[in-house]
Amino acid sequence: MSNGLPLVPDFITRLIKLWAEKRLPEPDQQTTLVRRRIYILPTRHGLTFFITLLVILTGAINYENSLGFMLSFLLGSIGFLGMIYTHENLNHLTLNTATTRPVFAGQPAHFPITLSSDKKHGFMNIQFQSRNGEAVSAHLEPLAADCQVQIPLNTEQRGWLELGEFKVFTEFPLGLFHAWSWNHLNTRCLVYPKPDEHPPHFDLSSQHSGQHASEQDGYDDFAGIREYQKGDAPNHLAWKAIARTRELQTKQFHAEVGDEIILSWYALPDNMDIERKLSVLCRWVLDADHHGLKYGLQLPGTQLAAGSGRHHRHLCLKSLALFSRS
Amino acid sequence: MLHLKNIPQHPVFWVIVPLAMVLIPHLPRLPVWMIILLPLLFGWRLLAIVKPRLLPGKILLFLIIFPAVIILLFHYGTLLGKTAGTALLSLLLAIKLLESTQKRDYMLLIALSFFIIVTNFLFSQTIPTVVFMLISAIVLIMSLIFINQGDAPVSFRSRLKMSSLMLVQALPMMLILFVLFPRIPGPLWSLPEDSSSPRTGLSDTMSPGSISELIQSNEIAFRVQFKSEAPAQNSLYWRALVLWYFDGKTWEHGKPNLNPTPTLEGFDTPLSYTITLEPHDKKWLFALDMPSEIPENVSYTNNFLLRSESDIHSLYQYTVSSFLDYRIEQQLSAWERSAGLKLPEGANPRTVALGQQWRRQFKQPRDIVQHALENFNQQNFFYTLQPPATPGFDPVDQFLFTTRRGFCEHYASSFTVLMRAAGIPARIVLGYQGGTQNPLNNFYSVTQSDAHAWSEVWLEQEGWVRIDPTAAIAPNRIEQNLNAALAATENRPFHMRMNSGMLKQLKFYWDAIDNSWKQWVIGYDSKLQNQLLNTIFNRDIDYVELILFLITTLAVITLIIALFIFRPFSRNSLDPIQRLYGRFCKKLARKGLIRQDYEGPLDFACRAGSEFPADKNTINLITAIYINQRYRSRENTKQLNNMKQMIKKLRLSAS
Repeated sequence: MSNGLPLVPDFITRLIKLWAEKRLPEPDQQTTLVRRRIYILPTRHGLTFFITLLVILTGAINYENSLGFMLSFLLGSIGFLGMIYTHENLNHLTLNTATTRPVFAGQPAHFPITLSSDKKHGFMNIQFQSRNGEAVSAHLEPLAADCQVQIPLNTEQRGWLELGEFKVFTEFPLGLFHAWSWNHLNTRCLVYPKPDEHPPHFDLSSQHSGQHASEQDGYDDFAGIREYQKGDAPNHLAWKAIARTRELQTKQFHAEVGDEIILSWYALPDNMDIERKLSVLCRWVLDADHHGLKYGLQLPGTQLAAGSGRHHRHLCLKSLALFSRS
Repeated sequence: MLHLKNIPQHPVFWVIVPLAMVLIPHLPRLPVWMIILLPLLFGWRLLAIVKPRLLPGKILLFLIIFPAVIILLFHYGTLLGKTAGTALLSLLLAIKLLESTQKRDYMLLIALSFFIIVTNFLFSQTIPTVVFMLISAIVLIMSLIFINQGDAPVSFRSRLKMSSLMLVQALPMMLILFVLFPRIPGPLWSLPEDSSSPRTGLSDTMSPGSISELIQSNEIAFRVQFKSEAPAQNSLYWRALVLWYFDGKTWEHGKPNLNPTPTLEGFDTPLSYTITLEPHDKKWLFALDMPSEIPENVSYTNNFLLRSESDIHSLYQYTVSSFLDYRIEQQLSAWERSAGLKLPEGANPRTVALGQQWRRQFKQPRDIVQHALENFNQQNFFYTLQPPATPGFDPVDQFLFTTRRGFCEHYASSFTVLMRAAGIPARIVLGYQGGTQNPLNNFYSVTQSDAHAWSEVWLEQEGWVRIDPTAAIAPNRIEQNLNAALAATENRPFHMRMNSGMLKQLKFYWDAIDNSWKQWVIGYDSKLQNQLLNTIFNRDIDYVELILFLITTLAVITLIIALFIFRPFSRNSLDPIQRLYGRFCKKLARKGLIRQDYEGPLDFACRAGSEFPADKNTINLITAIYINQRYRSRENTKQLNNMKQMIKKLRLSAS
């Protein structure tokens, strides 16, 4: 099921949503699903069930069959209870945001949400669906303190990505009713630019800061071969070695200790698209980090001194992600 | 590789289990080949769980279903009607199961399983049927939960618990709907005629052995509630059929051409009583000799018989009045005289000769009747359930002159033949005689073993007079019951042997429960509903008022149940440990130390400890207990009490 509602045409869903949005509280770090914001409709199966019930009831009336009456009333009551149970399976569920991990554009971002409740009973088969991601299910066992669910959201652009509105729904326990709540949590995920797949060769000659300008191929010093790791540039693949071992291998280059490179915006052709430039720089940052180089980043209006390590890499990627966006 | 242990983890398994369950009560009615086919199809689908390529394609399914439906059609001659319809539905469900791979298929199959349950009610509406319905409903809800639980860890036990709980919560709503849902009298459309399965009960012919066979059954034929004092046992003659035509062996009703307006004179106050008739798929209704006032929608034949407009397929209740002291048909029509004297040519010559001899011997018809009865009583005749066979063309002769051992049909038949031969118009009456009064509720139960046949002879001045030759040979049959009339050495039917002390009492209890069930549940209809509402409101209420009353009652019960599920007022929504810790924080807050949202319990304890050094140890202890109880171990009352005491003693004096 997409983001739609069962048995309801899309345009009506949109109307309901417009109305429901007015009832949403201001986005916060935490939200609790309450009766005011939990909606419920029968599912297609609920409709089938209801029609079966009506047929049984009509038969009972016609045959004046007491047990037929009894069964149809029993089914009606159970279906009705199913509605209450389904509603109760969302009611008083508290959602909390947690720290997100940055992703590269194109990869799905995952927003961790912590579920907890002041109710003792369990919350079973609760589905979470962001505006464009797949629905994921979670459950909070009875008496359990909390649990976490990762809501996926597809990314396209770099920058901050808000989780935005997402739908929490459930059809547990009988599948006859679809209870849902639209929610809004104040959480965002940093999306790095997409690493360029065919970056222009990094031109060391453009380096002015380097002390070893004469050693033009210092960067390209071949240092050996190691196993391929995700993020390795395709033009560093050791094709001969791959042919020999049938496993992906990457050529490792060794830069002399003390080498510092500055990955510069200005090293790229002027006519290159801005996003492309950021992508290329992103790739270069990854490559440089990968090879253990000390690297700096130069962007219009931003200058990051050379450094290395996870944090440095994050800072560089972040400034690329947020370049001219804030 | 087959991993059969995975099968119970698959939704299909949980569709097949309830489906097979709801089909069980139908098995005795299904043709044998279907009883074999259905488990095979189920097994096939189960195997396909582990080997999905075993799932049949559309063509193969068609190759199974097409011949199966054709055979069904040949077997029943129709695909409509209760039995054939159920068989067809079962078959289609099994086929649907074989192509079910998705949630929506499973959900549909479960909805249709409920439908299978209700088709069983067309055949049986007993208490065990309802118990079975409730168990089936629990299993079906469990299946619904299983299909909808996704990957949530809901164990078999919690499913069972949840589904039983839902059923228990649904019962009060069901009862209210059952009682108050407006009942419309009569069928909405005419019911399709059904080639129904044969039932035990009277047939409209009588031949030697036909009644003694029926005696073997202890099934209830009908129950009677007398408005006033019940009459004596020996006047409980429940009349149903009058047989005129005799072919030498078998009595049939013939085609009576009788007075359009039968005459009945009663000499006592009519006795009023209500009969609850078990369905017998026939039109005839029972009444005591002789019915005077008849219920609506019932016709009164000129043989003083009651006839319903349509076959009785479900429990049927009616109230009749009868004269026990009466005189009917003082005038005999020509047709009646000729039919009442007619005997088949050449059959039973010795009996006919005897009758003719009596006619010459006695002047008064009364004397002939008397002589015949004395003859039975004084000659060596025996009343027995196992009479010797009387093959050949002259069974009456064989009985009267050779075997002399017989049951009521032998005596009634030979007596009537004798009377006709002696020139007295006579006919056979079929029905029941007697009944068992249940001391618990004073209802009379008339069972198949009370089936009886007797005669009526037409006498000048007196009209048709009931003569029961069985009373001459076995008076206990009429005064008490069959069991008392049979010789001690007689091989009794099973139900008569189970008649001692405790068992008898248990039978009465069961009979009383069964009777209440039939009166109040199966027989609950618009009439009874009106009666009930009348007693509640003390006046007639219309449909609108009824619906309003229904909605109000439902709303109240819903509210009660919802409160039970939601429990908004319950203080237990927080753990006791959280409540205690809250009290602790409140106490500190009053001293100006407010726990911040970001502050974990340990950080807060640290801050509080430095603020109130005197209480540092207590604060740390309280915090330790809180953390231990909240995050690590299960609730421990002793620790909770400790914590409570410590919080109470907390002085929090500023240093």
